[in-house]
Amino acid sequence: MGIEFRNVTKTFGGACVVDDLSLEVRNGEFIVLLGPSGCGKTTTLRMLAGLENSTSGDIFIDGERVNDVPTQHRDLAMVFQSYALYPHMTIAENIGYPLRVRKLDKAERAARVQRVAAMLEIESLLERKPRQLSGGERQRVALARAIVREPRAYLMDEPLSNLDARLRVQMRGELKRLQHELGTTTIYVTHDQAEAMTLASRVAVLKKGRLQQFDTPLNIYNHPANKFVAEFVGSPSMNFIAGERVTMGIRPEHIQVLTTPEDGAMEARVYVTELMGNETFVFLTAGDNRLIARAPADFRADVDTRVWLRIAKEKIHYFDPESGSSCES
Amino acid sequence: MHTRNKKHINVFVTFVRFVYLLMALLFALAPVYWMLTISFKTEVEQFASPPPWFSFTPTLEHYYDAFVTRAFGEYLLTSAIVAVTSTVLALIIGTLAAYALARFELPFKLNRRLSLWILSTRMFPAIVTAVPLFLMMRDVQLLNTRAALIIVYTAFNLPFVVWMMRGFFADLPRDLEEAALVDGDSRLGALVRIVLPLVTPGLAATAVFCLIVSWNEFLFALVLTQTDAAMTLPVGIAGRVTQYEIKWGVMSAAAAVAIVPILVFALALQKYLVRGLSMGAVKG
Repeated sequence: MGIEFRNVTKTFGGACVVDDLSLEVRNGEFIVLLGPSGCGKTTTLRMLAGLENSTSGDIFIDGERVNDVPTQHRDLAMVFQSYALYPHMTIAENIGYPLRVRKLDKAERAARVQRVAAMLEIESLLERKPRQLSGGERQRVALARAIVREPRAYLMDEPLSNLDARLRVQMRGELKRLQHELGTTTIYVTHDQAEAMTLASRVAVLKKGRLQQFDTPLNIYNHPANKFVAEFVGSPSMNFIAGERVTMGIRPEHIQVLTTPEDGAMEARVYVTELMGNETFVFLTAGDNRLIARAPADFRADVDTRVWLRIAKEKIHYFDPESGSSCES
Repeated sequence: MHTRNKKHINVFVTFVRFVYLLMALLFALAPVYWMLTISFKTEVEQFASPPPWFSFTPTLEHYYDAFVTRAFGEYLLTSAIVAVTSTVLALIIGTLAAYALARFELPFKLNRRLSLWILSTRMFPAIVTAVPLFLMMRDVQLLNTRAALIIVYTAFNLPFVVWMMRGFFADLPRDLEEAALVDGDSRLGALVRIVLPLVTPGLAATAVFCLIVSWNEFLFALVLTQTDAAMTLPVGIAGRVTQYEIKWGVMSAAAAVAIVPILVFALALQKYLVRGLSMGAVKG
């Protein structure tokens, strides 16, 4: 049960946007499709919604093959990146729209709109029009319109990307809480690895239309399947040191910067430091390699100072230099 | 000193502006003034030289003549029925076609080709189709009927509606309709409940144009109708130019009345008109 993509491929003209994607989503899961722009994540979501047809392969919702089921009969709810609020309707009418097209009677409609509005704390906005709302408020309305009925799944296409940083973090938390309360399967598209890590029960990392890894956030972070995943997840990115037979990868928090020499420590020079407040990012050059390390907030070092790096050996990842795939286990 | 100079220049600029506006107005309104005054003048005064510009004894005899003695009331009714029906039909058919062209991707680049074909039906002079249309209407026995005019005007207005509305639809974000579909609405439902309300200004502007074209149309009305049963105002008015006399008074009275409906309609839709005509240009 749940949602399944089986060998789904989508080409636009000659370009392959989604390439032989197979993915199984269990009921109630919060799945994040993560990848850089152009990786096919939005197209995947749109195919699930029926807004785009797959070129080949099958899509199942609750065991039913939905390839030929039109969007309006798939019983999904979607939050668009642009929110797509109907500009000529009030907020109450916007939220009530999915109920109106299902011909629910007026009283029931009003009651449910009221309930959802209370849940998202937008009751005071119900009589306004979308253009009178701030970005954060519009986002809530879009969410309210999605959860006003009980669809088989929520689809969210970068719903937080138009919000400022502070609001984004706040809404992220609220989304997670909401999904926990409702327990409805959610497919969430983003290019922001922090959103993926914090929200997902499982993350599907995509690159150029191909699924790279599909696993829990922790496993993705600790056991990346290949160099691309290792690099894309985590901020600042993983460091790579090219060797002859393998490429080594080490996360910035596993490099300790010492100001005095130590046995087995690698010598490096400080390129620049960035104080983040709670910690310091140290940009280093070691031979031909450029590395980033995380140091405590009180770490101070001038540009071009000699330092020594203590690397946690057991935390090093090894990748095949040719294919980029992980050489672990 | 400096500011006083500026003030003088401003007054002068304003003055020149008004002079230009006045000239343009005079140019545009002179025939209307002429028509209106003639419609109220007795026949003697109509031909007086120099003409009495303002001081004449107004009379309603030509209005009486036109709408009571003669059948101009009926022509007016025919004009109204034909113009309104053909406008509504053209809007319904054209809007659906425009929506399809704007939103559905047809194979073989048909979107572009069909659009051009539709437009090309307006590229030849109307007179070219007059004879074929006459023969066709005769064969289906629709000569001298309002239906004939309604069909022809609808066909004539369609390309215009398709092109205008296609532009308005294209400017609308797809997200809105897709959201409506995901929310469970049908294509047609999304069109009626979401898309059309958002292009109301465009619809209004298009409607006004169609109505004006149908209302004023002369050529097809002349060719396809010869009896009072389906004569429109323009043909009726022109018919007062006869071999023996020209009924200036009756013609002017009928023309004065003919102006009113369009004027009222355009004024009623004025706020949409300006927005509709500038809608494609400025994205809001």
